[in-house]
Amino acid sequence: VRCQQYPPLRALQASAALRRASDEHKKEPLTSSSQQHFDSPPAGHQPEQKPQGPHPSYTGQGGQESEDYESEEQLQHRILTAALEFVPEHGWTAEAIAEGAKTLGLSVAAAGLFHSDGSELILHFVSECNTKLSELLKKEQKLVQLGEAEKKPIDEFLRDAVEARLKMLIPYIEKWPQALSVLLLPRNIPSSLNLLTSMIDDIWHYAGDQSTDFNWYTRRAVLTGIYNTTELVMMQDSSPGFEDTWRFLENRVADAMTMSNTASQVQSTGEAVVQGLMGAAVTVSN
Amino acid sequence: VYQVFETVAKKYDVMNDSMTLGIHRVWKDILVHKMNPCPGTLLLDVAGGTGDIAFRFINYVRSVRQRQLQRKLKHHQNLSWQEIFESYQKDQFNSLGDSQVVVCDINREMLKVGKQKAQHLGYSEGLSWVLGNAEELPFDDDKFDVYTIAFGIRNVTRIDLALQEAYRVLKPGGRFLCLEFSHVSNPLLSRLYDLYSFQVIPVLGEVIAGDWKSYQYLVESIRQFPPQEELKAMIEDAGFFKVDYENLNFGIVAIHSGFKL
Repeated sequence: VRCQQYPPLRALQASAALRRASDEHKKEPLTSSSQQHFDSPPAGHQPEQKPQGPHPSYTGQGGQESEDYESEEQLQHRILTAALEFVPEHGWTAEAIAEGAKTLGLSVAAAGLFHSDGSELILHFVSECNTKLSELLKKEQKLVQLGEAEKKPIDEFLRDAVEARLKMLIPYIEKWPQALSVLLLPRNIPSSLNLLTSMIDDIWHYAGDQSTDFNWYTRRAVLTGIYNTTELVMMQDSSPGFEDTWRFLENRVADAMTMSNTASQVQSTGEAVVQGLMGAAVTVSN
Repeated sequence: VYQVFETVAKKYDVMNDSMTLGIHRVWKDILVHKMNPCPGTLLLDVAGGTGDIAFRFINYVRSVRQRQLQRKLKHHQNLSWQEIFESYQKDQFNSLGDSQVVVCDINREMLKVGKQKAQHLGYSEGLSWVLGNAEELPFDDDKFDVYTIAFGIRNVTRIDLALQEAYRVLKPGGRFLCLEFSHVSNPLLSRLYDLYSFQVIPVLGEVIAGDWKSYQYLVESIRQFPPQEELKAMIEDAGFFKVDYENLNFGIVAIHSGFKL
C-alpha cells in the first residue's frame, strides 16, 4: 500500500509518449479480457485537448501531452507479452524481458520491474494460454449450441482440450522444463497451482453435464493427473508432431473412462454384496 | 561539502573499510546484483568518485556476457571452423557487449583517485569520468538506462533537484537506484549504532585520515538524512513509479529503487 499524494492511476507519461510515437507500427495492445487479470479500471481513451496542470487530475485524464494512459500493470503486461518472442533464444530470463522492453522502446533496465528468475514471465504466459484455451472452448460450445457442430463424447472432448492446450507450448518447448522448475518454487506455487486448477475447472465446465459418476474432486484430480503426466511426456517426446504424446494422452483418457465404469461397477457390486450378506444374515438368524 | 571531500578523497576507500568494517563492499555488491544489468546497459553513477559501483558493474556485465557467449557457442555445433572463428573474433572485441559506465562526481580529486584505481586494477574499456553536479547534470535528456547514487545523495543540498535531474537523464523504462544510510527502526540496534557512529568513527577519522571534523560531519549528515518512507515519497514526487526500498542490516543502509515509466 503506498501512501502517496497522487492516485496510482496517474499517467505514465514516458510510456504514453513512446506509444504515440510508434502508433503506426503499434499492434493492438492486449486488452484485459482474461479473467485472471483484475487490473485497475480501464484507461480513458478521450484525447485531452485542453491544457492540464502539471499533475494529472483524479479522474485519470492524462497530462496535456498524452492521449491515453495505462496503469503499471498494463505496461508490465505489454512488456511480458513482448518478451515472449525472445524466450526461445534467451530462455525464461530477465534477458528475454529486457529484449521485450527494448522492442517497446523502453530501456533494458525495465526488466528490473520483475523478478530476475523470470517467474512473472512464465506465469503471464501460462495465464495467457489458459485464456486462449477458454476462448477456444467457448467458441466450440457456441458452435454446438447453434447446431453447427456435433457435441463430442466426453473422452474426445477432454483429449482435444488437453491437446490444444499443450500445443501452445510447442514454440517454447525447449525451454519449458526450465519454466516448470521455476513454477515449482515455493514462492510461485500458490499462483501456479491456482492457474492450473482454474484451467482444469474450465475444461470440465465446458465438457458439460455428461454424467460419469465422478464427483467433483475426483474429476479435477483425474484431469490434473492426465494433464501433468502428458505434459511431462511431451517434454521428452521427439517423435514427429508429438504423436507419441497424443497417443499417451489417448490412453490416459481411456483409462480414466474405464476407471469411472469400474467405479460404478464396483458400486453396484458392492450393493449386491451387501444384499447377499443381509440375506445370509437373515437366513442364519432363522 | 566540496572541501570535505577534497581532504577525504585519498583516504576515502580506507576509511570506508574501517568505518563499516568492510561491509560496504557487500552493500555495493547487493546494489549491483539488484540492478542485474544485462550487456548493453548504459549506467550513470553519480557521486561515484572512486569508482566502486562502476567497477562492480563492469565485472557483473562481463560475466553475464561470458555466459551469453558460451551459450552462443554451444549452439554453433554445426558450423564450420571458419564460421566459428569469425564469430568468436567478432565477439572477442565486445567483451562488455557495448555496456558503458559514466562516473560523474562534483569533486575533481575523487575522480582522480577513481581513474588511478581503474588503471591500477586494469579497467580500461567502458568507463568515462565526468565532472558534474548532481543538481545540474551535464547530460542530455533520456540518455541512460540506470542511474545510481551510492552514499552520495545525502551530500546533495537540494535532493529534490537531484531526483529531478535523475528523472530527466533516464531513458523511459530506466531505473533509479539509491544506496544510502538510513533509519534504523530497531531501538536496541539504534542505540548501538549511535554509540558506534558518534564515538568510534570520528576517532578512526583522526587516526587514519588525520581529520576529525570531516567524519564528524559525515556522521551528522547521516542522522539528518530523511528516513526510508520520506525518501520514497520524494522519489515518487520526482515522477518515478514502482518506488520501493530494501533495508540492509536492519535499516543501517537502504536501497531505494524507482522506474521512469
